[in-house]
Amino acid sequence: MFKPLLTTLAAACTLALPALAQARQATLSAQLKNYGGNGAYLAVYLVDAKGAYARTLWVAGGKAKYYKHLTDWNRLSAGDAKRLAGVTGASVGAGRTLTVTADLADALIDAGYEIRIDAAAEDMRDSPAEVRVPLSAANAGKAQAGKQYIQSFSYQLQ
Amino acid sequence: MAWKWLHRWLGLVAGTLALVLGITGTALSLDPLRNAWQTAPAAPGLSVATLAQQVQAQVPGLEEIRRLPSGMVVAFAFDGDQPQAWRIDPATGAPLGAYQPSMLPRWVKNLHRSWLAGDAGRIGSAVLALAMLGLSVTGLTLLLRRMGGWRQLAGTVRGTLAQRLHVLTGRVLLLVLALTSITALWLSATTFGLVPLDAGAEPDIASTASGGPDLAPGQLPLLQRLRVQDLRKLNLPAADDPQDAWQVSTSTGQGWVDRYGGQTLAWQAATPAQRVQDWALLLHTGDGAWAWALVLGATGLSIVLFWTTGLLLWWQARRLVPRIASNSPPAQADALVFVASEGGSTWAFAQALHAALVQAGRRVHSTGLEHFCVPPGVHHVFVLAATYGDGQPPAHAARALERIARTPAGAAQVAVLGFGDRQFPAYCAFADALAQALHARGWPELLPPERIHQQSPQEFARWGDALAQALGHGLALDYRPSLPPMSELTLLSRQDFAGGADGADAAGDPAVILRLGLPRAGRRLPRFAAGNLLAIVAPGTAVPRYYSLASGTVDGFAELCVRRRAGGLCSTFLHGLQPGDSVQAFVRPNPGFALAGGKTPVLLIGAGTGVAPLAGFIRGNARRRPMHLFYGTRARERDFFFGQELQDWQADGRLHSLHTAFSRTPGGGGHVQDALQRHAAQVGALLARGAHVRVCGSRAMARGVAQVLEALLAPLGLSLAQLKEHGRYAEDLF
Repeated sequence: MFKPLLTTLAAACTLALPALAQARQATLSAQLKNYGGNGAYLAVYLVDAKGAYARTLWVAGGKAKYYKHLTDWNRLSAGDAKRLAGVTGASVGAGRTLTVTADLADALIDAGYEIRIDAAAEDMRDSPAEVRVPLSAANAGKAQAGKQYIQSFSYQLQ
Repeated sequence: MAWKWLHRWLGLVAGTLALVLGITGTALSLDPLRNAWQTAPAAPGLSVATLAQQVQAQVPGLEEIRRLPSGMVVAFAFDGDQPQAWRIDPATGAPLGAYQPSMLPRWVKNLHRSWLAGDAGRIGSAVLALAMLGLSVTGLTLLLRRMGGWRQLAGTVRGTLAQRLHVLTGRVLLLVLALTSITALWLSATTFGLVPLDAGAEPDIASTASGGPDLAPGQLPLLQRLRVQDLRKLNLPAADDPQDAWQVSTSTGQGWVDRYGGQTLAWQAATPAQRVQDWALLLHTGDGAWAWALVLGATGLSIVLFWTTGLLLWWQARRLVPRIASNSPPAQADALVFVASEGGSTWAFAQALHAALVQAGRRVHSTGLEHFCVPPGVHHVFVLAATYGDGQPPAHAARALERIARTPAGAAQVAVLGFGDRQFPAYCAFADALAQALHARGWPELLPPERIHQQSPQEFARWGDALAQALGHGLALDYRPSLPPMSELTLLSRQDFAGGADGADAAGDPAVILRLGLPRAGRRLPRFAAGNLLAIVAPGTAVPRYYSLASGTVDGFAELCVRRRAGGLCSTFLHGLQPGDSVQAFVRPNPGFALAGGKTPVLLIGAGTGVAPLAGFIRGNARRRPMHLFYGTRARERDFFFGQELQDWQADGRLHSLHTAFSRTPGGGGHVQDALQRHAAQVGALLARGAHVRVCGSRAMARGVAQVLEALLAPLGLSLAQLKEHGRYAEDLF
C-alpha cells in the first residue's frame, strides 16, 4: 500500500528539511446547491495517481452511522484509524458554503494526486466522487461543479 | 400517591411539549399511507437480477435502485448532468413517474425529531420519549389501580366525560404509545452512535479487469439469488471507475460483485443491531405497514386528547383544593377534620364542617388524612373520606389505613363520613375500611359511619343534624358547592297530577311534569341525554336540587317530573311555575346511569316520579331497541305519569312491553317488585339475554327490586354485583 510509504516519505522530509516551505496551507471551499434536502455530509480526501486513498482532508457531518453513505471514502479510508483526527465538522446545509483549510506537503502538489469529495444527504442519493479535481498549482483557484450537491468547488494554495 | 404525582407532572410538563411530537407524528404517518397507495408491489420471488436488467434497459444513466420499506422501487439515474429519481413498476421495470421522498415539507420531520435544533433538539426529543415512556408506565399503573387489576381491565369505565375519555383512550393506545417511545429511544441511541449498526469496516474490493465488457445484471449469480422483496439498495458500478463493483444491500446483509467476472467479491451479514433497527423503524414510522401507520397516526392525535383531558382533570381537582379559614394548629385544636379526597370535592364538605365547628366556638384543625395523628387535647375526630375507583383510597391517603392501624386509640370520639357513588360496586369501601380500622383500634364512636352518595348536599345536611345532636350544640353546616355557570330555561307547559286524597304520606302529594324550553339566547345548555340530571337552583337558595331528565337535547326541551315535598323549597318553587316563567339551571352528568348504545334488551324499572328518566330512554329509542318497562305508581287516575305517551310509544314500537302496578288500587297489582315477580319468567329470560337494567325511584323500592332480581339471577350464575361491575345494572335513587 501507499500509505506507509507516504508516512515514511513525510517523516523523511520532516527530518531532512525541518525548515519552512515544506508544507503549504490550502483553503478549500465548496458551495452547495439548493438541492432541497437536509444538511449534506461531505468527505474531502486525497487519492494518489493509482486511485489509492492517501489522506482525509475534511469530513462534514458528525454521525458515524451515516458515514457509510459517503461510500467511496468510507471504503477506501477504512484502514486509516486516524481518518477523523481533527478534521470533522458539522454537516453543510443546502445553499451554504463549506470553507476549510488543510496543510499539504509540497510533495503532494503536482504529483498526480486528486482531491475527491463524496457527498450524501438524508433520503437522497449517495454521491461518491461528487467532485474530482487534480491537485496542482495550475488548477488552484479554478471552480468546478459537482454532480449533484455541489454548485462549485475550488481551492487556493498559499 | 407517587404514581399519580409523577403522572400528573410528567403530563403537565413533558406532555405539553409532546403535543408537538404527537401532531407532527400524525402528519408524518401520512407518508406511509401515500407510499402504500403509490406502490406497485413486486411479484414474490422476483429476483434482483431480473429487476435490474429491466430497469437498466429503460432508465438511461441508471446508478442505483432502491426498494423502500413500503415496497416502492425507486431508480436513481443521471441523464446527462441531470440527477433523476423515478418510481418503477417492478413488473416491467418501467418508470411510473418522478419520485418525491415525502409529501410534507422537510421541517415537519426535523421538528419531530430534533425541534429544528440539531443535536440539542435530538437529545430533547429523546428525553421527551423517555418521559412518554414514564407517562405510559405510570398511566398503566393508575389504570390498573382504577379498574381493579388486570382481570377487570376490560371492564366498564365510569366517571366524568373527561375521565372516561382519558381512561378509555389510555386502555386502547397506551401500549402503542409505550412502543413508540421505546423505538424512539432506540433510534436516538443509534443516531448518537451508542449502538453501532455496521458490521465493521467495509471490505477492500475491486473488480479485476479481464479485458472483456461488463456483465449484464441478469448474468450475476448473487443478484439472481437475491429477491426484490429483501432488497434495500443496488448500486451499479461507476462508468468512469474500471475497478468499481456492484454493491447490493438486503435485509440480511450486503455484498459486492465483480463487474467483469460476476463473482461475489465479499458478503457481510447484517448485524443483529441492524435487524433491530429495521424493526424499530417499521414500528416507529409505519413505513411498509400502512394499517400500522393508521394506528400510529391515531396515537399521535391521542396525545392531544390525553393532554386536554388530563389538563381538565388536573384543573378540576385543583380548583376544588381548599383554603381553610382559621385553621388552628393541631396542638391547640380540640377537633380534628381529616380529609381523603381524590378530586378535591370532599374538601368542600370539610370546609363547611370546619366553618360550622369554628362558628360553634371550637378550635379546629383540618388536614389531609395522610397526616392522621391525634394529640391528647382533642375531643372529636372527623374523617371525611372519598373512595377512588374499585375501593381504592384517594392517592394522597394511600398509606392512611396502615397509619391508623399503627396508631394507638385515644380518648377522642370519632365520626367517619364516606363519600362515593352508588354506581360503583365498592361504594364508600375506603371509608368503611377506615371506620372498621378505627373501631378495631378501639376509638370511641361519636356517630355511626355514614355515606354520602354523589356529593348530595341533602344527605350531608342530614348527617349535620345528627352530628349537632351528638355534640349537644348547634351546628350551622353551610355547604356551598361551587356551581357551574347556569342557563335560563323557560317553562313551556305543565301537566298536573293531583296526588292522593289521603295526604298522609309523601307519595300522595301533588306532582307535575314540567316541560322547559331550551335557551335560544344567553348561555346555552350543554348537550344532555335522558337520565342526566338537571340541577335547579331555586331563588334564594344556594344549593341546587337535582332532577332526572325525561328528555335529551335532541327532543328540543328539558322535561322533569317533580313531586311537591312538604317544606321543600325547590319543589314548591317548581310547582308554582307558570308557562313563560323561567328557572336557573345547569346539567350534571349521571355517570353510569345513562344508557350506552347497543342491541341488548333493556329492562326499565321505576316507581312514581322515578319513571321520568326511563320515559326519556323510551322517548329516545329511535332505533327500536327492545325496551321493557315495569312501572309502579299509586293509581292510574292519580299519578300515572306519561300514561298517554307510554301507550303511543308502545304503539310505534319504541316500547316493547309495559307492566304496571297500582299500589293504592284494589287489585291493582301491588308494587313494582310484585309485577316483576309475576313476570319472573320473562324477566329471567331478559337477564339471560344480557339485558341492561336501569332502576329509578325510592330506596325502599330499589331494595325490593334488588331482592327479586337477585333471586332471578342466581339460577343464571350471576349476581347484581357482577351486573353492576359490567355496567349492566345501575340505579338512580332518591
